[in-house]
Amino acid sequence: MQKLLILIVTAVLTQSVARATTTLEWWQFWTDPDSRPTIQAIVDDFEKANPDIKVNITDLTWANGQEKIVIAFASGTGPDVVELGSDWIAQFAANGQLADISQRVIADSGNFQGWGLATYDGKVFGRPWILGTRVLFANEDLMRKAGYDTSFLPYNWPQLEQAAINIRHLGKDYYGWGSNTAEKHRLYKKFLPFFWSNGAQFFTDDNRYSIISSMKAIDALKFYKKLHDSAGFVGDQRSIEDAFLDGKIGFIISGDWLLKRIEVEKRKIDFKSGPIPGPKYPGKSFLGGEFLSINQASKNHDAALKFIAFVTSPENQLRFCKANRSANPSSLLAQQDPYFTGNPHLQAFIKQIKSAEHPPVDPHWVVIEDELEKAIEDALFGSRLPAQALRNAQTRITQARAKQ
Amino acid sequence: MRAHRGIALALGLPWLLTFGLFWAFPMVYSLFMGFTDHQLLAKSFQWVGLDNYRALFRDPDFVSSLKNTFVFVLGTIPFTTVLSLAMALLVNRQFRGRGLFRAGYFLPSITSLVVISLIFTNLYSRGGYVALLAHVIGLTPPENGFLYDSGTALYAIMAMDVWMAVGYYMLIFLAGLKAIPEELYEAAEINGASPLRQFVSITLPMLRPVTLFIVVINSIKSFQIFTEMFVMTKGKFDTATTVYFIYDTGLTTQFKFGYASAAAYALFAIIGLFSLAQFILFRRRQEYSW
Repeated sequence: MQKLLILIVTAVLTQSVARATTTLEWWQFWTDPDSRPTIQAIVDDFEKANPDIKVNITDLTWANGQEKIVIAFASGTGPDVVELGSDWIAQFAANGQLADISQRVIADSGNFQGWGLATYDGKVFGRPWILGTRVLFANEDLMRKAGYDTSFLPYNWPQLEQAAINIRHLGKDYYGWGSNTAEKHRLYKKFLPFFWSNGAQFFTDDNRYSIISSMKAIDALKFYKKLHDSAGFVGDQRSIEDAFLDGKIGFIISGDWLLKRIEVEKRKIDFKSGPIPGPKYPGKSFLGGEFLSINQASKNHDAALKFIAFVTSPENQLRFCKANRSANPSSLLAQQDPYFTGNPHLQAFIKQIKSAEHPPVDPHWVVIEDELEKAIEDALFGSRLPAQALRNAQTRITQARAKQ
Repeated sequence: MRAHRGIALALGLPWLLTFGLFWAFPMVYSLFMGFTDHQLLAKSFQWVGLDNYRALFRDPDFVSSLKNTFVFVLGTIPFTTVLSLAMALLVNRQFRGRGLFRAGYFLPSITSLVVISLIFTNLYSRGGYVALLAHVIGLTPPENGFLYDSGTALYAIMAMDVWMAVGYYMLIFLAGLKAIPEELYEAAEINGASPLRQFVSITLPMLRPVTLFIVVINSIKSFQIFTEMFVMTKGKFDTATTVYFIYDTGLTTQFKFGYASAAAYALFAIIGLFSLAQFILFRRRQEYSW
């Protein structure tokens, strides 16, 4: 009798403990030595604050992470919470694989930037976490040699063009502009700042028709090509940055990872960073980012919501950005921390985010990006005129979107 | 008898299961997928008949990749064949250090394709060794390097591929040369045939089966070229080949499994026709035999 009683009590206790614990699977991309320990620390803190929830982290890489996510969702084995690049959200949302969290994030809508990137068909499918943008980097030494006052950077296209050409003429080993070669996922991000700065759009305001070959877009591509032809150092992103850090290029567009690289490699370079020039100052830049989304098929929506709110809270964003050193927070509160406001280069990124635009949130974005990139390649490296290249792209984008 | 058949089946089952699961089923299923609009992220797909195949030959990207692939195949096969035969003839003679030359020529064939691609990416870059050589002989290399120019990128990769492949085919030609009876050359010598005549009348005809083998397997391999483009140019600068198109469409950009499967089977048919044409061409004349 006593043994039976002990057995029953043990079983009840075991069952209670088992029933009280929720396990969340989280797939994320921050595997570098600076970031991963902080990710773990944030998860540990969350588990302390929520003893009934356990979080399992799976690390993905940028090389194959997207494929793993696609295959997992396609086979119904996706995680509860997943980190998504902003240009992937629409594709998953359109197929009903992400949870609509619109109603749960209304209270936070004014405290974070980047919601537009996670909004598809009028619904929100992810919380903005880390944002990324691009700014203009200038080599002050080369600017001075070319006769320019370095107290301010070029703020419109004619100034940028003239300064780049003048630097190009300093010698055969000097270039005014870092021009990306046909590099997938990168080339278009260097062109779009000029596209948007000139007022061009991908689609009409009602989102029905592609207008990627408007006169404004053509003029932007013509200008971009002119920079490329007259002052461009052509290479992939890595070699452009190498050449910039070696003092060979006057102006490049790059991201905050360059700041980290300068710091880590202890490069002695006299440089300035600031907004990308445009017809109106400041020019627009490209906005992308990392978002935390919830699997529609997950059984733990409430726990997942609690988790992503915790990870993306201002204090945890700030904590992560300080550890990573090449990330920008989506939280307006975190952006006001002295860590950002006290550093002119980081501040350049924070300011640029406010005038950055994001690509259309469209399930066909992979095709749109591909066609845009081909148009830029045709104009820069092929034999097509910018106008014809963009018209071809517009036609093919229209065809792709017509196939629903 | 019945027991033996059961044992035979049992012993063959592991291989049969592996073959069926990982080779036969994927082959058949992908043929089926080629007739559907299967896209990995979509919830369902439906039969579309020959729509994928019709769309393929209207797709500028696919047509362009076919063109690049044919340029690659037709441009590399002759050079590879001639050069490997020439090298085989050279190392077939007796001279000091012959083994060293044979090993040296063969070395590229056993080096990792990715490693070679990375090395040649540097050789072909702006300021790289190839650009330096071009300057030395008075030519002007592309300003941004050979791989960043649509006019030179594919040919640069073709040259690298010829360099990589000749060693392997040299060995096969060498085996073919050693299989030619020495008596034929002795008889020809006695009858006053010149070395050139011996080559044209004895060596080449006797090597025809070996040449057919080399041309066919080299063509099949070349039609499926992918790694070089993936590592060196990512399919840009007019270097996208058909397998690269299949990879890009099916596995990275759009996950269009149905369309990519159709492209794969279209390539399969093209390779089959090409090989058949080669067999017919090489078998036209009477085979020599004892």
